[in-house]
Amino acid sequence: MSQTIQLPNVCEFMTRHLVDVFDTMLAMPAALVPQAALPHFEERITGSVGFAGDNVTGAVYLHLATPFANRVAAAMLGLPPEEVIGENDVNDVVGEATNMLTGGLKSWLCDAGAECAVSTPAIIRGAFSVEAMPDVAREFLVFESGAEHVIVEIHIKLN
Amino acid sequence: MATKILSVDDSRTIRMIVGRTFKPYDCQIVEAGNGEEGLVAAAREKPDLIILDVTMPVMDGVTMLSKLKEDPALKTIPVIMLTAESGRENVLQIAKLGVRDYLVKPFKEEQLIEKAGRIVTLQKRPAA
Repeated sequence: MSQTIQLPNVCEFMTRHLVDVFDTMLAMPAALVPQAALPHFEERITGSVGFAGDNVTGAVYLHLATPFANRVAAAMLGLPPEEVIGENDVNDVVGEATNMLTGGLKSWLCDAGAECAVSTPAIIRGAFSVEAMPDVAREFLVFESGAEHVIVEIHIKLN
Repeated sequence: MATKILSVDDSRTIRMIVGRTFKPYDCQIVEAGNGEEGLVAAAREKPDLIILDVTMPVMDGVTMLSKLKEDPALKTIPVIMLTAESGRENVLQIAKLGVRDYLVKPFKEEQLIEKAGRIVTLQKRPAA
């Protein structure tokens, strides 16, 4: 199993999947910025969904700057970009986008032989960094969507 | 008479997208936030179609579907499952439970209309 599930393969899948989620649900472009430095967000919203199984555990985090998260929420809800959206609705959209990302990864892992289950999404707001557990491989994927950045952080441990 | 569609999803975002998708059609949308609420709404509203999320707190979509199929009054209501997971195992599990169709997130609104239109009558609302 560990011969087919390698971190670079996971990142390749997640890159395609993020672009698909942005295109399909938001009608927004997104393109990977290879080897990008991590952008700094003054204030950010992070969606997180965990996954766990006998052979694999981990989590996916979707980090967005707060003003951009508002635009993402407007796009998904079919509202004008300048519309002011309630905090709960923005949280729900970011959670749902993270859920879609992780659901896709779960399917990819299951098809590669690593059966697992996913959690419901959680949201964190503020300025912070996420700590990885010991022995967990961690990767950051930085995307550009217009002038904005999107960070997908993947934590994965193969048992 | 309007086609009645029950949208069961813990995400308000998805329920809003479902509502927006069917807005041009003569449909009445009823919403529930989890499987438990979905069963109550299904018994009360007798919808023509249920659009059901898989992963939800309190009661997930698979459990709700199983209970629906055990209830003689509700078992014939067609169900489209909405899932973020497209893996073979997940799809097989869903198929075994007797859903009419399934749709993998992310999805385009046209895909949902196409799948629902194969099951229920979708009539365009007259232009205002």
